Amino acid sequence: MASAPLKAQLTDLLNSMFAMDFLDEQFKELQMLEEASGPGFLAEVVTLFCGDAERIISQLSVLINEPVVDFGKVDANVHQLKGSSSSVGAKRVALVCVKFRNVCQENDKEGCIAALHEIRHEFDELHKKFQTMLQLEQQIQVLDSK
Amino acid sequence: MASSQLVKVLIVDDDNFTRRIYKTMLFRFCFEITEVEDGKNAIQQFVDGNEYDLVLMDKHMPNMDGVEATRTLRGMGIPVKIVAITDDASSKDTFMDAGADKFLLKPLTFSMLTDILKSFNFLN
Repeated sequence: MASAPLKAQLTDLLNSMFAMDFLDEQFKELQMLEEASGPGFLAEVVTLFCGDAERIISQLSVLINEPVVDFGKVDANVHQLKGSSSSVGAKRVALVCVKFRNVCQENDKEGCIAALHEIRHEFDELHKKFQTMLQLEQQIQVLDSK
Repeated sequence: MASSQLVKVLIVDDDNFTRRIYKTMLFRFCFEITEVEDGKNAIQQFVDGNEYDLVLMDKHMPNMDGVEATRTLRGMGIPVKIVAITDDASSKDTFMDAGADKFLLKPLTFSMLTDILKSFNFLN
């Protein structure tokens, strides 16, 4: 089958993402849901998550760079990002969110700046891998439909 | 149960992504699903005369949080099954005191949902 090499590549990618804690068991839940609900579900939720995360991270950057930081708003945004990253199985992003909330609750601006930098890094790494995953899935679907 | 055999579920969560996942889980059972973004809109659903068999209630939401929404529904005499689903473990007692039937910690898995539905006899 023409798509076999791509499927192997996709499997390797996902295995490495699990091994490196980019993803956890919750992502496997979503994979099972896709099996039941049909192709496209995973792509949709991953795209939704990435869009939401990007928006929240941008908002956090604005909030933290205010002359007087509203740590309540920062915490609310980080809480939302933690929720959606946990729901998609984005383990490393969720873990950094926990650290972020801790420094936020101490009203530690420098700590928040550092945590934001870390979240940006972790999300960017995850986002790149998700994009590769979606591209591979799309190519596989095209080949399998021929 | 709400009129007709179809189980009617109200999803109350301010996160679009979370609501999407719950909907996909519930679609497997061919339930009728409505979603709202906060407790205030959840209350309005019932004020408007809509009936539900099950409410999946988040805690932290704008306008009205899940605990207040739960308390308000019970105060209105609404007997719907309410399942609190939140990552705030410390809110369990508050939710149960407000009248929730069950309390689950996020992230919700399909097996957790199935167990809840079975406990309420929503699965044949």
